[in-house]
Amino acid sequence: MHLAHVSDVLLVWAVAGYALAMLGYAAEFAFGRRNAGSRAVVAGRVAVALTIAGWGAHVGSVVTRGFAAHRVPWGNMYEFSSMVALVAVTVFLVLLTRQQVRFLGAFVMAPVVLYLGLAGTVLYANAGPLVPALNSYWIKIHVVAAITASGAFMVSGVVTTLYLLKDRWERRTAVGVGPGTAAAVEFERARGGGLMGWLPAAEVLDRLAYRVVAFAFPVWTFAIMAGAIWAEQAWSRYWGWDPKETWSFITWLAYAAYLHARATAGWRGRRASVLALIGFACLMVDYYVVNTVITGLHSYAGVS
Amino acid sequence: MVLTTTEPASDVRESEATRLSTAPLARSGWRHLTSMRTALLLLTLLALAAIPGTLLPQRGLNPVKVDAFLANHPHLGPFLDHLSLFDVFAAPWFAAIYLLLFISLIGCLVPRIRLHARALRKAPPPTPRHLDRLPVNETWSSGLAVDDVVANACSALRRHRWRTEVRTEPDGGVSVAAEKGYLRETGNLVFHVSLVVLLAGIALGGLFGYKGTVLVVQGQGFANVRSSYDIFEPSRLYSDSQLSPFSFTLRQFKATYEASGEPRSFDALVDYQAQPGAATSTHDVRVNHPLAASGANVYLIGHGYALHIQVRSPSGRLVFDSDTPFLPDDGMFASHGVVKVPNGLPHQLGLTGFFYPTFETTPLGPRSSFPAARNPVLSLAAWRGDLGLDSGVPQSVYDLPVASLHHLANRQLSPGQSWRLPDGTTVRFAGVDQWATFQVAHDPGKKVVLVAAILVIAGLLGSLRVRRRRFWLRATPVDDGDGARRSVVTAAGLPRTDPDGFRQEFDSLVQRMKD
Ligand code: HEM
Repeated sequence: MHLAHVSDVLLVWAVAGYALAMLGYAAEFAFGRRNAGSRAVVAGRVAVALTIAGWGAHVGSVVTRGFAAHRVPWGNMYEFSSMVALVAVTVFLVLLTRQQVRFLGAFVMAPVVLYLGLAGTVLYANAGPLVPALNSYWIKIHVVAAITASGAFMVSGVVTTLYLLKDRWERRTAVGVGPGTAAAVEFERARGGGLMGWLPAAEVLDRLAYRVVAFAFPVWTFAIMAGAIWAEQAWSRYWGWDPKETWSFITWLAYAAYLHARATAGWRGRRASVLALIGFACLMVDYYVVNTVITGLHSYAGVS
Repeated sequence: MVLTTTEPASDVRESEATRLSTAPLARSGWRHLTSMRTALLLLTLLALAAIPGTLLPQRGLNPVKVDAFLANHPHLGPFLDHLSLFDVFAAPWFAAIYLLLFISLIGCLVPRIRLHARALRKAPPPTPRHLDRLPVNETWSSGLAVDDVVANACSALRRHRWRTEVRTEPDGGVSVAAEKGYLRETGNLVFHVSLVVLLAGIALGGLFGYKGTVLVVQGQGFANVRSSYDIFEPSRLYSDSQLSPFSFTLRQFKATYEASGEPRSFDALVDYQAQPGAATSTHDVRVNHPLAASGANVYLIGHGYALHIQVRSPSGRLVFDSDTPFLPDDGMFASHGVVKVPNGLPHQLGLTGFFYPTFETTPLGPRSSFPAARNPVLSLAAWRGDLGLDSGVPQSVYDLPVASLHHLANRQLSPGQSWRLPDGTTVRFAGVDQWATFQVAHDPGKKVVLVAAILVIAGLLGSLRVRRRRFWLRATPVDDGDGARRSVVTAAGLPRTDPDGFRQEFDSLVQRMKD
């Protein structure tokens, strides 16, 4: 059986599905602007269908990978990245069932496609067994939590970025801005606001970003603690300031700062959101810089 | 009056203090503001302070790398060292930040706990006069009398665990004030208190624990007394009474490998005794699977080969018969070791050896091509002279002072083979055994940390998932003159945290009250 190969092919299909979905969401926006309302609806629905199809292929890819390697499919950076992207798409789909968030489609698909593209090329590793240190049921608990939180943080990072853009646009086009920008405001208004006008209000985006962080943050906290329990079993101490541990902690602090900033006068809104983006940057350092540049005990990257 | 103002629809919450009464509002508001600012600042500072600890080598993690860095940067190195940048997580400035953070946290928690305790006992706040000015509201007329409307409303609210308070108003109307989601602040407080407890638990472990490492050869035993350890690291307030009197014997060590030589599994079977005279039980100590030994944990942290070597004097007397641990030099377990035979022979005898579990010759010399003992070969060199054991200078069991010894001969041996030295002494490679190193760690703060960690998460879930909201209803009697008892009802709601989903909740509540 060439299950590993099946997994790789399914991943390509998933990327294709997501990329086409991205085009669909873009078309929805374009039709919407040209007042082709019914076409916009069709494009949006097709895009969602493509996302679901891509998601199905993605799940298939992960599952077959697991069977090919006879273990959980999150043992190296390639598999990890694939899972994080899968969670991000899942979070988006779950949000879709609760709230009108189709506008997010293209903005979630873009980083997911990029992420999977990088994962499948630069980070790719063959399906192999785990080293004994990773062979524990805590890998299931700790890593699943870390992946889940990361996928959600990714979605919230996308929403936060949109929030910052929309917020700037709202302030620029608000009545009473300086005379120098009047022409720009007129231009924006005349165009119906373009993409920015199409996005929901900044406040809605801010709240959505918060909701996703409010989901991800406890999961991330749990991931760190489960990691500590695992470390206690594997390395005889629950915390040792290993670079991976430290960057997870820094990420945690950054998101805690974001949550605090939302309740701090003068910080809520834009400044708080910048903290959330810094948190996401820390997360990326935690995964990619720490695994490849800084070496520690968590050297399971599988990239050589 | 506070209540009738529409709150910003964001998730921003003010502390209870700011809304309970007007007088201390400014003061407590200020305090709240400053303490949150402080927390924010300190959280950010702590994150920044941790970064150099991941970029520069740290003594606690890798002292060798630190030395190398110091050697390569003769000017920068000592300067960084002076700033404790190679011991970031033990640095005074790092401690200062987190201690300040926790002092600020405690200072902010005490009043918040008091306020919340009071809020928990208090009835929901009175119904604002102009309910129709609240962001979510609805007015309808009901065919029921005021009392029935109120009774219905209360039962609908209580069924969903709202806290309710019925008040009769001067104009004959009756109002219901309800609030829900107190668990949010409870959770938030539990979260922050647990953080403090967690830190206390870490400190407890750091002050009273111990850690030690010991090498045990297959078939041999270990008793948990300080002198049994090869390395022992007590904490600051450690006393020997913390060593629980357990012991174990390494019955068997088993390692399996992938075809590539990558390790697949390690198992150390030990016969464990909780205290002298207690029943013996057998445990499989593995990576990720320590042995829980009365308060301490025993971890498998390394392994290697111990070579059974026998030495007989020229007259045939057995003068040395022991398993000697060899230290691995590479992933294929090519190992080195030393045998010292100070007594029983005409001269003191020393042997230096290289061991290859799967022996192979290459143009560059012998090497091991696989970590398991598939084709074990022991390559020995024999030395004669004063081994220096009586010199009073501490000696490593893995070193021989060869510079001052006389080289006799070299020989490669397979298990079972003997080697006769020129003076008639025989060295026999009797067999290959294995050893394992164990780390014993005792951390008395661990349980505290674990419980605090669980509460941290529970508190966090309450704090981030529960939404605090208020609901009011006012029913006023309508007198049409025909004696029918009817009422006009106005309901309003206020999400005090995340407003998403509040509209639906409000609508379904109102729907239930109308039915
Ligand atoms: C170890 C550091 C700390 C962490 C990780 C932390 C974390 C958090 C989190 C996650 C929240 C929830 C925010 C929300 O409900 O939206 C929160 C709220 C809060 N924290 Fe902290 N905190 C820390 C230290 C502090 C300190 C030192 C203070 C006081 C000086 C403080 C004061 C508060 C207050 C007043 C709230 C409530 C704000 C609100 O209801 O939104 N925290 N904190």
